[in-house]
Amino acid sequence: MRGVVPREAEFTSRLRSAAVAARVGSWLGVCFAIAFVTGLISHYAQVPDQPIPFPTAPSWGYRLTQGLHVATGSAAVPLLLVKLWTVYPKLFAPLPRPSRRGVLTMLERGSIGVLVASAVFQLATGLANAAQWYPWAFSFRTAHFAVAWIAIGALLVHVAVKLPVIRAAWGSDVDSVGQDRPSATRSGAVSRRTLLRGTWIAAAAAVVTTAGATVPLLRKVSVFAVRTGEGPQGVPINRTAQAAGVTADDVDRSYLLQVVGPGGTVSLTRDELAGLRQRTRDLPIACVEGWSAGATWSGVPIRDLLDLVEAPRGSDVLVVSLQRRGHYGRTVLQGNFADHPSTLLALTINGEQLSVDHGYPARIIAPNRPGVLQTKWVTRLEVMT
Amino acid sequence: MRGRLALGAVGVVVAGYGVWLLVSRSSTDQLRSVVTWLVGGVVVHDAVLAPLVLVAGWLALRPLPAWVRGPVACGALVLGTLTVLAVPVLGGWGRRGDNPTLLDRDYVAGWWVVALVVLAGVVVGCLVVRSRTTGGHHGARSGRR
Repeated sequence: MRGVVPREAEFTSRLRSAAVAARVGSWLGVCFAIAFVTGLISHYAQVPDQPIPFPTAPSWGYRLTQGLHVATGSAAVPLLLVKLWTVYPKLFAPLPRPSRRGVLTMLERGSIGVLVASAVFQLATGLANAAQWYPWAFSFRTAHFAVAWIAIGALLVHVAVKLPVIRAAWGSDVDSVGQDRPSATRSGAVSRRTLLRGTWIAAAAAVVTTAGATVPLLRKVSVFAVRTGEGPQGVPINRTAQAAGVTADDVDRSYLLQVVGPGGTVSLTRDELAGLRQRTRDLPIACVEGWSAGATWSGVPIRDLLDLVEAPRGSDVLVVSLQRRGHYGRTVLQGNFADHPSTLLALTINGEQLSVDHGYPARIIAPNRPGVLQTKWVTRLEVMT
Repeated sequence: MRGRLALGAVGVVVAGYGVWLLVSRSSTDQLRSVVTWLVGGVVVHDAVLAPLVLVAGWLALRPLPAWVRGPVACGALVLGTLTVLAVPVLGGWGRRGDNPTLLDRDYVAGWWVVALVVLAGVVVGCLVVRSRTTGGHHGARSGRR
């Protein structure tokens, strides 16, 4: 008996071919590219000090890009698994002899190792994060962002190395054996076309069964969506008051909103806020984890509050929450968002007073903005100079 | 060739930036955890998942008659990959008592629905292949061209 580790030559199926790998890999590359770009958009949206202001329009932009981020990541799961299946024999290819060419081969195989490790890492951590499951010791945001760059870099190297193979594969019939490994001589259990068809169905099914968290039309069929879209007052909750350490005492009658600016400090009770000019807007709340929901919000335009303290237009505003636990207790509302007529200090949601889990007494709602920056339990707005 | 070299060089710089980001923004413990997950993912795939699929394919697919194989393989591919995708929600480890709006479905029931839909698809696929191939001598291939 030869041991359990197979040799490359023992994989004889014609299914494990560059013709299949290039086709699946190309779509996988497209998914990773979209996920990378939409991920960068989300990270940039969360940079407090933006050289180029993040746009306030369209109001559904963040919802769309982050829905795409999670959808392409989900579609990538079947694509990556099939891709790795087709190239699995290469894992057992004999190591090259020491030579100049051998060194290049080893470098190339090393880059594949980096690509596979970072790709699996991105999909695994992204899916776990969407389900708010954190079985690790690192910061998800830092690691997922850094490894994204590693994955895309390794992908570029891989495309550079394989470009002739990819071109030849797309340029010839899927059943062409021109680029097959010498040992891949037996027809597989199914045809290549069948394998590819199954892969596309699986990728589409991955999107349909998860995207209901952000596409209302799919809610009924998205059996693996992290949220049904239901929740108190018609909107799901990302973090409850309890999880954020906000207590009943914080939000009782003693609550005051302080607005601090060049013209001094203005303190307002919730009743006084409700007595100011109210504005109503339909805006989505969209989370980086790929779920979103639309709602009708009403409250005081932030710009009206800034006018009370004579804040010049374009001023960034520091938003301070009552929350005691977790990140995003102090966020920056950039000048272009603060001045936008749809940016509100919301007091109601879908016609009802905000529940405490939705941010009672008052919360920020702004167009095209990451959910984590739609700060709840706002107690202080401070004009930054 | 020059274009490919340039592309590869850009890739090395981009990946290098990622490594720098990771190292400069993580503590030693965090870094150790990242490396564990990077290596762990490869090990779980290459040493556990892939061999399991290999053995399952060999045991389950080869003995089947040719006209059943295509639909069964596609069904297994769809259900298998969707199951991997659904591991975090099936496990429900992220559930929190204070937030009933998160992971608010019966995901195990959802998995059975998916399994039944896939099974129905496999049966229909088999019938289609069967009806196409009756009378022909070359199995599923006879219908093409």
